[in-house]
Amino acid sequence: MTSRREFLSQSLAGVGALSLASQSLADQRSESKPPMRFIFMHKGNGLLPDSLALPTFDAEQAAAEKQKSAFVADLDEHELPGWMSPLAGHKQNMTILQGLSGKMCTTGHHTWCSALGAYKANERLSTIRWATVDFELADLCPSPFHHIELACFPSGGGNSRGNVNGIEKGFSARGPQQPNYAFGSPKIAVQELFKSVSANQDAKTRYQLERQVLKFLSNDESSLAAQLSGFEQRKVGNYADALNDIRQRNARVDAMGDVIRKHIPQLDAKYMAEDLTTVDRQDGLVEVLLSTLISGMTNVVAFTADELGTPYTGLPGIEGENVNLHDVGHGKSFGGVEALGIRDKVRHQHMTLIDRIVSRLKRVPEGDGTMFDNTMLFYLPNNGETHHSKGSEWPFVVLAGNNARLDIARRYIRLPGYNQPGHKTIGNLYTTILNAYGNPIEHYGALDVALKIDQTGGIKSFHA
Amino acid sequence: MRFNVRSRSWLGLSVLLWTSLCLAPVTVTANEAAALAMPGPIRSIIDSACLDCHQGESAEAGVRFDQFQTLSQAAKIDLLNRSQDQLFFQLMPPEDAEQPRDTERQELTKWLRHELRSRNASKLDEKLREPAYGNYVDHDQLFDGSITTKPFTPARRWLVSPQIFHQRVNAIFKLDGRSRQSKFYGVTNPIVLPDHSGVRYYDTATLDGGHLLVMLNNAQWIADKQIMAAVHHEDDPRKLEFPNPKDKWLPSHAPEAFVAIVGLESMPSDEVMIAAIHAQFDNVLQRQATESELHEYLPLLKSAIELGGNVEGLRQMLISVLLKSEFLYRLEFGAGKPDAFGRRKLSPREAAYAIAYAIDDRIPDAQLFQAAREGRLQTKEDYRREVNRLLDDKQSFYAVADPTLSGITIHGSQVTHPKINRFFREFFGYPSSTKLFKDVARSGGFYDNLERGYSGTAGSVTGEADLIVDRILREDKEVFTRLLTTNEYFVLHTKSNEEGRKLVEQWRRAYEGLKDTDWKENTEQALLDNFETHQELFKIIRIDNIREDRRRVHLRDFSRFMVFFENTFGKGITPNTYPWFFHGGQKYRHAEIYNLPHVTGAGPLHYDGVFSRGEYPDIQTWDYPVEQPFVIKHRMGILTHPAWLLAHSQNAETDPVRRGRWIREKLLAGRVPDVPITVDAQIPEDPHRTLRQRLDSVTGQQACWKCHQHMNPLGLTFEIFDDFGRYRTKESLGDWESNLLIRKGKQSDPNQKAAPVDASGMLSGTGDPALDGEVKDAFDLIDRMAKSDRVRQSFVRHAFRYFMGRNEMLSDSQTLMDADQAYLQSGGSFRAVIVSLLTSDSFMYRKDKIGSNDD
Repeated sequence: MTSRREFLSQSLAGVGALSLASQSLADQRSESKPPMRFIFMHKGNGLLPDSLALPTFDAEQAAAEKQKSAFVADLDEHELPGWMSPLAGHKQNMTILQGLSGKMCTTGHHTWCSALGAYKANERLSTIRWATVDFELADLCPSPFHHIELACFPSGGGNSRGNVNGIEKGFSARGPQQPNYAFGSPKIAVQELFKSVSANQDAKTRYQLERQVLKFLSNDESSLAAQLSGFEQRKVGNYADALNDIRQRNARVDAMGDVIRKHIPQLDAKYMAEDLTTVDRQDGLVEVLLSTLISGMTNVVAFTADELGTPYTGLPGIEGENVNLHDVGHGKSFGGVEALGIRDKVRHQHMTLIDRIVSRLKRVPEGDGTMFDNTMLFYLPNNGETHHSKGSEWPFVVLAGNNARLDIARRYIRLPGYNQPGHKTIGNLYTTILNAYGNPIEHYGALDVALKIDQTGGIKSFHA
Repeated sequence: MRFNVRSRSWLGLSVLLWTSLCLAPVTVTANEAAALAMPGPIRSIIDSACLDCHQGESAEAGVRFDQFQTLSQAAKIDLLNRSQDQLFFQLMPPEDAEQPRDTERQELTKWLRHELRSRNASKLDEKLREPAYGNYVDHDQLFDGSITTKPFTPARRWLVSPQIFHQRVNAIFKLDGRSRQSKFYGVTNPIVLPDHSGVRYYDTATLDGGHLLVMLNNAQWIADKQIMAAVHHEDDPRKLEFPNPKDKWLPSHAPEAFVAIVGLESMPSDEVMIAAIHAQFDNVLQRQATESELHEYLPLLKSAIELGGNVEGLRQMLISVLLKSEFLYRLEFGAGKPDAFGRRKLSPREAAYAIAYAIDDRIPDAQLFQAAREGRLQTKEDYRREVNRLLDDKQSFYAVADPTLSGITIHGSQVTHPKINRFFREFFGYPSSTKLFKDVARSGGFYDNLERGYSGTAGSVTGEADLIVDRILREDKEVFTRLLTTNEYFVLHTKSNEEGRKLVEQWRRAYEGLKDTDWKENTEQALLDNFETHQELFKIIRIDNIREDRRRVHLRDFSRFMVFFENTFGKGITPNTYPWFFHGGQKYRHAEIYNLPHVTGAGPLHYDGVFSRGEYPDIQTWDYPVEQPFVIKHRMGILTHPAWLLAHSQNAETDPVRRGRWIREKLLAGRVPDVPITVDAQIPEDPHRTLRQRLDSVTGQQACWKCHQHMNPLGLTFEIFDDFGRYRTKESLGDWESNLLIRKGKQSDPNQKAAPVDASGMLSGTGDPALDGEVKDAFDLIDRMAKSDRVRQSFVRHAFRYFMGRNEMLSDSQTLMDADQAYLQSGGSFRAVIVSLLTSDSFMYRKDKIGSNDD
């Protein structure tokens, strides 16, 4: 019998070996400069800033940390907190970023698109003010699928999605009042994203039918547009063009068939089940995430590792418990483990996922280095510093490859506290990233009305 | 490009020249379309007026005319477009440069226009179609009777509104009456209107890739539901297993042909497939497929069934119809022979849709369709009959004016014709108040920002503004004047006057009957001792038994009601009809935004919770007026309603510039140039100066004042209100956080001070010397504007835009004058305006036309 751990390591090695041995998409791109890739992985129930403090801080650093005064520490000189141990081998690529605020976001239990959009959003579409930062980056790093979102959906807690195994509104936004849709289970993600190379006859048929309808519609609307002129032509022509764009996207995906086929997630049946533990769901979705990135289907992935209403099952050590993260936020223990201990377990699980992502990408050759050289991963809470957050802090853990255009690696960075000179918001961070990759936006994100300091623009000291 | 002198007369010339030129037909030869050359006379004008600054390497703004012949065709068109814009908006030539003669301007303008329009490349044409440019059509000409051109609307596709889209989805499932759904689980509305005050739903929007992406998901969900309804047409939906347990809605209607196809295992007959195609066209487009469409769709369906079987094949056909662009457009092309002016009347079917969508968002009702079929939608009288019928119908369209205001505890007001009310919501723009995020502490604690399931205080006052609009529209007399000048308002009006009277009377009886019991000292004993005797009174306060398992709740309620009554009836005032301890009642506490006293017992008086909900500090609280609306001091119409003031404020300050611009453009039919891209002026922070003083310090400079003179003197009159919309006579100076601490006694600041509000201003642009001139404050300003013909006509112009979905053209002059007269002759009836507009030539006739809307 294969244990979960054994399966994962086999799967990991299998796909990794496949990637190394085969003509990966990266190889096919040979001459062209590799694209940059971004992964936004967010968690519910806040990320306690204290939990990120390094245990080996000296007295001065510990005092600054306690007072939330600005300082920088070299990660090479420190040990990571225990729950971050899976990332110990990636310190040279890591940044622990503390002191950002996010009071321009909806806070409290849920933030919806706020964490990635830097504005106050709720479940009403009208509150989605603009595209979230991951979509902005997807515009800068084009790919056939543009952007892919995966989510361990909440099924309770006031923010539930109808079907945790389906395609539901995600936590990213395509544009004003335009929610994105996320895949909730490994099964649906594999079915939909890899249907062009599916071996399943029903899926193949449906895929062919969809193509047929798109072709039909494209011809129909193009023919109508051809009979029009001027402004009226554009009213139909744009739509016909959009249909053609999707067909061309599909054609590109078809052309990548061999590569995509080689990178179909190798998932055991239990990961493809409708009823799977949260941890298995996360593991499965991470396999999908890796496959879509390595195959070149997308360059940007948003991944909701959990949300406040996600029933947490399968946590190591308390596998049999159905952990309610909301209750954990209120200090409830499960399976004899105190709330803070459960928070540790949850975060540790997240770190194992990140380790798998980073390690795998480091094994995929690309250009003169590896695929990870051209990757940035952001791990963040979707609601700030704690369970009932106010947005006073918004900690980030960043893993970035050597070609990333931000000069922040190997550091623990605590920025000046709220309203202190030099204080920064998540809007400043997103502006920095967007500016670094070609979007000249002056400031991304809403402004915090209570913040008295100049809060616009990027963080200059982060630029490489 | 540098030209010369910018003056108001030049502005008039520019617009007049433009509009008169547009009447000239554009004829283009193949050669002209192919080559773009600058004729000698035009070259001479440009050489003398522009070349000084726009030649060589050092040409200003990089604009060069000396290389014109060497430019690519695209670059030439770009240069011509830029030149045309500069001329039209009078940005060139600058004041200090030598000016060309008027004849030269005309010649140049005419040439630019001809060259660009003949190539379908005039960006100005497109720009002038947008809402922001509506006022560039000369107001005086529209209303002085000098224009004799017959009105029409250009033939068009008009993208559906978000509301029409939703109703079209209802129509697919044949949902009517109570079965109509307010939302569909799997449908995301793909239509987004622009985010500004004023009429927003125009015919200028086009379908694009964003719409398609959303529609792909929508079509899939709708088709899945249609298939499921067909498969389970005889099953009890309550016993079905749904793929998604949160999405158990199932349409009750399934066309027979769908049922037949999913029930067969073999290839259906052509007859059945044709019936299915017709059925889906009927569901989605309310028409049968044409012969040519059948010729295309039948092979598609057959092929899909061959490939995927009956169910999958049918599903793809359903999706293919749902994704037709026609589903998202309104089609208005006109039919029949053109009249002597080149116009065609809307076809009866088009007319049915046009009328239906003017009054509401739903597809035409059965009577409209019937009238269309029977040829009874041809004449003005036909139109008038149907418009009046729909306006007389007080039941069919009855719904919440704005569903987005409704949440867990607050519900938007219901009105008979939401679409009609929506005009005033868009015109005034007060619903934008919900987009603000205020520092709650500055309000003293009464203000809530929006949160999940609650549109916040802004949403509540927006609903209260809706009630004013609805009342004035129902009475339908002097509508525009009353909207500007009424001093009667609704505040926390949660029940009708009759319901409120009855409730308060019952409460009073309960209080009088129970106040002498020992409820305060020994609540439980008082309950037990008096329940039998006063069962009726206890029932009023929600206690209908004395079961032990409910005792704790009953004692809580007994105590809460009696304390509440003691602090209202006991002090000689009337309690509000939705106390703080009702579900969500803590949200009903914003009376202070109207400068009314604190709501008894309701929520934090101070943000830091000095007085929490359910506490009764020794302060004067609000004597609630059950009968509403009621007169509130220091208010005059919608422009002094907190909803409008909030919507036209910033997060932390008032916004005199935006308020002034709104009045200039919406009420005075005026224009304010776009902000030059080089302008990034910020109002400086200074704790020793008022906002007015700080604003003057940056906009008083000559370059800024050219535009700000059209806004500041109007907007600053509203400084008698703070940014929450509270009336004030003094403006607090200094940092608000410090002021807050001072108020709380946590910090002292001997320098803290307030300055008297200076709300004086200047009204200009009414065209009436008796009204124009200095004004004391916003009340003075509004009072004068309410008497202005131009203001009334400006309302009419915006109503025209709302119902026609476009900017007015000079040729719409007769339509606008008729609507204005209808208003005057009816004693100020907005209904009369609607009927006039919807029976006008502008509404009934279409004309094929390339490009612009400025005839």
